[in-house]
Amino acid sequence: MDPIVTCRGLSKTFGKGELAVHALRDIDLDIMPGEIATLAGPSGSGKTTLLNMIGALDEPTSGEVTVDGQPLGGLSRSQLSDLRLSKIGFVFQSYNLIPVLSARENIEFVLQLQGVSAAERHDRAMEAIKEVGLSGLEDRRPGKMSGGQQQRVAVARALVSRPAVVLADEPTANLDSKNALALVELMRSLNREHGTTFLIGTHDVRVLEQSMRHIEMLDGRIDRDARGSA
Amino acid sequence: MLLVFMLSLQLASYDTMKSSMLRIADGFGQFQIEGYKEDPEMDKVIADPAALLADLERVPGITVATARGTGFGLLASGERSFAVAILGIDPAREPDVSTLSGLVEQGRGLTPEDDDAIVLGDGLARNLRLGLGDHVALLGSGRDGSVAVDVLEVVGIFKSKVPELDRAFAQMPLARFSETFLMAGGVHAIAVSGEDLPDVVRAEPELRAVAARHGVVYLSWAELRPDVEEAIAADMITAVLIYVTLVVVVVFITLNTLYMSVLERTREFGVLLAIGMKRRWIGRMVWMEMIFLSLFGNGLGILLGMALTYWVQQVGIGIEGLSEIYESWGMPARFYPAMTPFRVLFGPSAIVLSIAVLGIVPYRRVLGLEPVKAMAS
Repeated sequence: MDPIVTCRGLSKTFGKGELAVHALRDIDLDIMPGEIATLAGPSGSGKTTLLNMIGALDEPTSGEVTVDGQPLGGLSRSQLSDLRLSKIGFVFQSYNLIPVLSARENIEFVLQLQGVSAAERHDRAMEAIKEVGLSGLEDRRPGKMSGGQQQRVAVARALVSRPAVVLADEPTANLDSKNALALVELMRSLNREHGTTFLIGTHDVRVLEQSMRHIEMLDGRIDRDARGSA
Repeated sequence: MLLVFMLSLQLASYDTMKSSMLRIADGFGQFQIEGYKEDPEMDKVIADPAALLADLERVPGITVATARGTGFGLLASGERSFAVAILGIDPAREPDVSTLSGLVEQGRGLTPEDDDAIVLGDGLARNLRLGLGDHVALLGSGRDGSVAVDVLEVVGIFKSKVPELDRAFAQMPLARFSETFLMAGGVHAIAVSGEDLPDVVRAEPELRAVAARHGVVYLSWAELRPDVEEAIAADMITAVLIYVTLVVVVVFITLNTLYMSVLERTREFGVLLAIGMKRRWIGRMVWMEMIFLSLFGNGLGILLGMALTYWVQQVGIGIEGLSEIYESWGMPARFYPAMTPFRVLFGPSAIVLSIAVLGIVPYRRVLGLEPVKAMAS
């Protein structure tokens, strides 16, 4: 089986000369389909930078990233947008939902960008809402939802376009323990049921406990890469 | 709102100014022999005014045309005499062209039945110490250079509030004028009028064609009264500067507000970029937002501006202390704005168009956004 994400010799340096910060140093990484992998490590270890590189949100200084067989190097900004839209789902720490849209509209928005018909958008959004356990709240706007509910909407938004990989950066950081646990359970069940691949940057031990693979980062390098039994 | 009102008032004031000043004596246009205006000699006459008048009846937009003779001479009463301009008018038609005969304060204006009658400006009557029913001697130079002499009875005294007119201007019947000044059927000018000045301006090409057929020239209002046109042009420069400044200020305030709203949403745009929305889509969305918001704002402004203009249209607007000055120029003491599609839409359209063009600035900013930096802002 081919990896869904491949990083080869990936480096990222911010700034120049003496002020240069080496956020990533020569990273080699493969993420296999259906994995739940966690990226852990202290602040500044390069977790978010690595997620940004894999998510085509930022360009590496050197090295290559491949997502679902598509090398990102050399793609235009427009092609990178298309790739993010079709192959990558994002879950952010602070949810990042569009406040003027309802939960369903936030989820449908991604499908709308993909040019999916209105009827299909509606059906798929409702299905995603059901999967994340928010049935009945589909018409509620983010401001009227709890943090946990908003993050579930964000997960539904990330999954509704059936991406090759979902990248989550500290998804439980703003949630209380009950909601954090529920979110972890949700991601785990989505992985089990649909084989969705998750790459999660986190400090949260509850997330780490549920991961199949634990990647520890330190000073921009992969310090440890261990597969667990979860 | 202000732009709609300002332009409606400003341009309507110019229309009023032109109409009022032209209606006092000149009319909205005149036919003359070429060179008469520059050098008004008595023998520069339109030889067959009846044929020209008949042709003018068929010109659309011209409601009335009237023949005039203009002589220069002395009016004398007792020991006093003053130089005057004597206008020979057709009493039946002249009131429809000029307002002077309607400004008679004592006695009456000339009528078609009048023969040896004369109407004087009140300054002239005062200088000559003449009243109604008094007789005045006229001494001038006839068309053929001979002496023109007549004695006329004062039937009316007008007060135009234009000092130059009131001191040195008199009207007498055209038929008597022709006899006195030996005009042999010729007249010095044929003045035309219409419902409105713009009607006559629109008819200008046809009026010039008529003039060419009769071997005379047609003088438009601007050619008759270049001083009025120059005064309006001078005033217009200031008005345009104020107007443009207002448009620029409104455009920049609006753009600043809209640009700030774009800056405030940088993070949101970063998220949209992250989930796969293309930069140009976001840029287009921002640009459309700007246009819709400016259309909405301007639409509201147009409605409020029209409401304000309509109200002032009913009550008029006058400037305290200036009414006498206006009257001395033959203008009314109060001005009334008038709305036309151009006056209502020009300012708001300029704003919307400017915002549509200058909206390229936030559009370009969106095109330059990087998702990571945008989300971190």
